[in-house]
Amino acid sequence: MASHLTREWAGIQQFPAATLAKLLELMGKLKQENVSSLTILVMGKGGVGKSSTVNSIIGERVVAVSAFQSEGPRPVMVSRSRAGFTLNIIDTPGLVEGGYVNDQALEIIKRFLLNKTIDVLLYVDRLDAYRVDNLDRQVIKAITDSFGKGIWRRGLVVLTHAQLSPPDGLNYDDFFSRRSEALLKVVRLGARIKKQEFQMVDRVSLLERHHEALECNMDDFSSIMLGLRESLKLFAYTKKQAATMPMLEIAVSINDSAIPVVLVENSGRCNKNDGDEKILPNGTAWIPNLMEIITDVVSNGSKAIVVDQKLIEGPNPNDRGKFLIPFILAFQYFFVVKRIQRAIKDDISKESKPLWELRDMGLANRDF
Amino acid sequence: MAFCAPGQLLSLSHSPSLHSRRRIATTTTQALPASSSTIKCDLSSTPNPEPLKCASKTLPTLTKTLACSTAAGILFHLSTSIPSLISSPGDGNGTGNGDFSGGGGGGWNGGDGGGNGGFWSRIFSPSAMAKEEESQSPDWDSHGLPANIVVQLSKLSGFKKYKVSEILFFDRRRWATVGTEDSFFEMVSLQPGGIYTKAHLQKELETLATCGMFEKVDLEGKTKPDGTIGVTISFTESTWQSADTFRCINVGLMPQTKPIEMDPDMTDKEKFEYYRSQEKDYRRRIDRAKPCLLPLPVHREVLGMLREQGKVSARLLQRIRDRVQKWYHDEGYACAQVVNFGNLNTKEVVCEVVEGDITQLVIQFQDKLGNVSEGNTQLAVVRRELPKQLRQGHVFNIEAGKQALRNINSLALFSNIEVNPRPDEKNEGGIIVEIKLKELEQKTAEVSTEWSIVPGRQGRPTLASIQPGGTVSFEHRNLKGLNRSLLGSVTTSNFLNPQDDLAFKLEYVHPYLDGVYDARNRSFRASCFNIRKLSPVFTGGPGVDEVPPIWVDRAGIKANITESFTRQSKFMYGLVMEEITTRDESSHISPNGQRQLPSGGISADGPPTTLSGTGIDRMAFAQANITRDTTKFVNGAIVGERNVFQLDQGVGIGSKFPFFNRHQLTVTRFLQLKQVEEGSSKPPPPVLVLHGHYGGCVGDLPSYDAFTLGGPYSVRGYNMGELGACRNILEVGTTVVELCYKLQTLAAELRIPVRNTHVFAFAEHGNDLGSSKDLKGNPTEFYRRVGHGSSYGVGVKLGLVRAEYAVDHNSGTGAVFFRFGERF
Repeated sequence: MASHLTREWAGIQQFPAATLAKLLELMGKLKQENVSSLTILVMGKGGVGKSSTVNSIIGERVVAVSAFQSEGPRPVMVSRSRAGFTLNIIDTPGLVEGGYVNDQALEIIKRFLLNKTIDVLLYVDRLDAYRVDNLDRQVIKAITDSFGKGIWRRGLVVLTHAQLSPPDGLNYDDFFSRRSEALLKVVRLGARIKKQEFQMVDRVSLLERHHEALECNMDDFSSIMLGLRESLKLFAYTKKQAATMPMLEIAVSINDSAIPVVLVENSGRCNKNDGDEKILPNGTAWIPNLMEIITDVVSNGSKAIVVDQKLIEGPNPNDRGKFLIPFILAFQYFFVVKRIQRAIKDDISKESKPLWELRDMGLANRDF
Repeated sequence: MAFCAPGQLLSLSHSPSLHSRRRIATTTTQALPASSSTIKCDLSSTPNPEPLKCASKTLPTLTKTLACSTAAGILFHLSTSIPSLISSPGDGNGTGNGDFSGGGGGGWNGGDGGGNGGFWSRIFSPSAMAKEEESQSPDWDSHGLPANIVVQLSKLSGFKKYKVSEILFFDRRRWATVGTEDSFFEMVSLQPGGIYTKAHLQKELETLATCGMFEKVDLEGKTKPDGTIGVTISFTESTWQSADTFRCINVGLMPQTKPIEMDPDMTDKEKFEYYRSQEKDYRRRIDRAKPCLLPLPVHREVLGMLREQGKVSARLLQRIRDRVQKWYHDEGYACAQVVNFGNLNTKEVVCEVVEGDITQLVIQFQDKLGNVSEGNTQLAVVRRELPKQLRQGHVFNIEAGKQALRNINSLALFSNIEVNPRPDEKNEGGIIVEIKLKELEQKTAEVSTEWSIVPGRQGRPTLASIQPGGTVSFEHRNLKGLNRSLLGSVTTSNFLNPQDDLAFKLEYVHPYLDGVYDARNRSFRASCFNIRKLSPVFTGGPGVDEVPPIWVDRAGIKANITESFTRQSKFMYGLVMEEITTRDESSHISPNGQRQLPSGGISADGPPTTLSGTGIDRMAFAQANITRDTTKFVNGAIVGERNVFQLDQGVGIGSKFPFFNRHQLTVTRFLQLKQVEEGSSKPPPPVLVLHGHYGGCVGDLPSYDAFTLGGPYSVRGYNMGELGACRNILEVGTTVVELCYKLQTLAAELRIPVRNTHVFAFAEHGNDLGSSKDLKGNPTEFYRRVGHGSSYGVGVKLGLVRAEYAVDHNSGTGAVFFRFGERF
């Protein structure tokens, strides 16, 4: 971190007033919770818009973006501070190369992240990709294996290229919900988070937040309902409550407790609202929204991920259970070796001798 | 009878003694010094006066001498070198007779019953006499008489050689001619087509008359138109009083009773006294005799024969003798003989058997020329391999001999082993077991060379790839005559640059650690070695481009003690100190696994190859291995179970102070699915093989000690290590082996002599139990391997080669593999 100069966040001034106000409000909120710096790790496949998202958040062109070429193979950390609050965003190279997860790239990222603390992970993918495949799962798995399952409690799924017209016969919300559902499923599989666990979080938070009224996007509702569908099946009693629950509440709770899905549109042709804020097709200004959800994730009670040598290399399997070796050895001697020895002795005593030998020993009694 | 056993195969051809005896008669002269190798026994049969009279009427003498003999020289002959195969023991009677299955027939035959002429000896070895007089000249004289007239023997000319064209037997009691299948027929040494003089025929008649089988016997000639004569032997069979009990006694090693010549001038009272004393003697003899081995079922069978018959006739006695001897010979008591029947004309028939008691065990060494020499091997080494049934006082059994042969052979010290029972000349009825051993050369050296040609680019070998390689090995066996040995070998694939890969091994073996007389069988073994192996840990999974190989060099010393509990079960424990170096293809030390990048380059960022991370590890650890093996062969198929537990215990000595416990348990069951009759030519039973292998390691585990999944000895259908490398491993497999008759007939049609043809089906599964990630660097994942896999398939075993079709369950594709040797 020392090598990176923390610059004054100049880009923040370029944001429209509404956005700026919102960001400052969120910063203040984080400060209240004694969070003075926020490190965001951006990961994903190549060419999904990671760097663009970083640029959009900072409001500066901090990372070189090219339409046809992948950016450099090294991760880049951008640090900006504003009013005593530091925002670090780490942009990483794409994790996929040649149809496989690029272990080397992952290795470089891990080494880069050594001795840093990750507060939030942005897993970036495109909204306008129609399918998820095994590769997505591999990428998720690689991330999970590198930083542990816990990182998904601090994770967001960011879908870029949000400004799109969905294929025929689908409305935007439907498309978004399906896409996010599919992606979340992959995350769940890739990170090997149990479905139960996933839903349990949902349910608990639902109940907890039943009476809290928070602002939320109406548009997220449909996706939330989809996610809920399964929970409802499992927990019949929730159904009743859910039916009476204000929609907004549900939306927030889901977004908050499970892995939230956030839409992003980095293109310069992004629609803007009256306040000159970049908005999504549903009218939400996405930068404040993203930052807000990030803030929520940070304050959801989970621990930030400290990347140290141990985390990168995993626990040394060679050390595990070493102290048990004397006991294992004793067990092997008394219960395996001794037992086999006894069995051999039994074999010798039970050995069926040929008749001529028995006759010779006088055991035949002239019976055979 | 000779038994030839080249190598490990031990085939025993046991020709029926009667048959062979007859054949001897046609070709050889088995003349034996009657004094030494004759077993005869004389006995007076009828103590009570009534049958005595009857006997004296019919028989010229009162004592009947029953002697029986057979060619019983048994020779076990085991040879590892071809030329020495036909080494017949030079004990005087080996005749190299082609009818025997090898050299060295002989033994006891021709019971030349002294005294009053043993008729049994005539019966059982007629050849002994006939051959001597058989004229060699092919010429014969015509009888010179009108055809079809009956000529008494006495009327024949003493100067002519008659050709006998026909021999007929005429049973006067039945008033019928008996065929050649009659048991009496074998007693006559005359052969149709043979040429005999009058003296011959007279002697033959005399033989028959004195043998005791006949009350009366006559020989007449009948002239034939072609100048030959037909011989008719008319006889009346001897019979005795019916008996209802049967007793079998072992008279081996008992002094033979000598009949006292009876004075013809004895008074009746004297005669009576004489018979009584003889009877008493005989009773005493029976009482003193050892009980014989003949079991009750056979005993009862003989009793049945006696009851059925009513009167005891000579033919019946012959049948009884055959039955009793058959049992003995079937059970392997090859030296057992029925020598006499006593107590005839009483209610009891006493069958006297010489079972073949061993009086002496002689171990002899022979030099290359077969002369007796002083061997280098200490006798105790050989002696401890012999079953105690071959020692003095036990009854000789062929199986014990075979076992001795096998045991001695397993010492691997002798090129030629013979176990040869021969009659004891000083101790009538006794057997001396002679073990003749030809020692192998103590020092041997061997050089074998090979050229290796490696196809280069475009598949064509380049000149530079042609390398001379080979092995130089030497062995110094049997140090101090205690079977200690020192052996060494050096192998290189390139003699021009031997430093590239030089494998050597130097081993010292010290058996009988507790002393050669101690029953405990422990041997000490120390070796120093250098071996190079391709590591299966650094192997790609399916669809992965070739992974640069990692070679694991191990150099070190090893010392262990092996205790053998049985021939197969043993316990080994020892220490190993070694240095492990991992190298890449070009022999550079490589501390990490390598892989090929899509760009074509090679990156060495793979899992660490060694514990130290430098590519060189040194470590010392303790090793133990206990094997329990109860497998045995049933008609060539393995049946039984085998459990192996293997343990490597790191003690914290070496690079990075390795402390680990690496253990493996292998359990294999060979279940026989059908009961089958045992026999060398019988088909083997179908066998179900269940196999389980668990391996695990706690503590430091470098990649070269990791367990690998896949390969012919793990999960078939995959390459070595193709499924993964892991810390804990579980493999299960099952195989059903069934002999395929159809295939054999097919093979027979193709005229390919294929033995041991099996078909089998198998299914196997190997699993890393999720422990691949517990191996540093996770080589399984690094090389994109699954970590588990199953396969199933079918195979055919043709001799040593296994052809298998295995379906790889991960990809669902099948392939054919050819392998040598057994899987389990």
